[in-house]
Amino acid sequence: MNISLRNDPVELSRLAEILEEFGRRHGLTQRDLLALDLSLHEHLTNIINYGYDNTKPREIQIRLRLGDRLLHLEVEDDARPFNPLERPPVDTTVPLDQKPLGGLGIHIIRQSMDQLEYRRDGGRNILTMRKRIA
Amino acid sequence: MPITKIASADNWELTVPGRIDGAVANQLEIEILGAIRAGAKEIFINLSQADFICSAGIRVLLQYYRQMKNNQKVLLVTRPSPNITSILDMTGFIDLIVEGNRPTT
Repeated sequence: MNISLRNDPVELSRLAEILEEFGRRHGLTQRDLLALDLSLHEHLTNIINYGYDNTKPREIQIRLRLGDRLLHLEVEDDARPFNPLERPPVDTTVPLDQKPLGGLGIHIIRQSMDQLEYRRDGGRNILTMRKRIA
Repeated sequence: MPITKIASADNWELTVPGRIDGAVANQLEIEILGAIRAGAKEIFINLSQADFICSAGIRVLLQYYRQMKNNQKVLLVTRPSPNITSILDMTGFIDLIVEGNRPTT
């Protein structure tokens, strides 16, 4: 399934509805659907909020494939180069008082997905996410 | 759907319905600040009617959990819906939920 989004926060609600329908159609568990919804919401939020110098409309492409109990996602954008995996992982064992306030979005993506890969290709960021599903 | 509030003495309950995205997180912060200004000693964020919370929402909860705690006051999530419990559990923030409402392992 391919989804094309504009770089506008209102598109995130539309994406959520598309994912809910996708989850229903493929019998995803609620937990797996939440992981999918969260990861895409966080990554798209980062692209929309930080990726561009101006508000000209841009397109972000999402490719979603499900096969053999494996969810495969690719998000491709032409925003400024940004590798979310460069940030060090958040230490998940620290108590609430010491958890950092920054980097939560990327932390959530790491916690929700099993495998992440980033590459920069032809002026575009491509983040690949994989998750084994129930 | 708007955030609803119930205040009795120093105890406030804010109920946040639906999808807690960046915009709703901003509204929640405004409501929390209102409660703090009004002198609340305990603020409970009722998430029984919420079905999603993103990092912006978690950040608001974490920030004001800490601020209240540093002032010997309380801010915690109560009655989280199954989706909210899953998200807080998956992301390592289960301790934001009041102890009686956390999932037992």
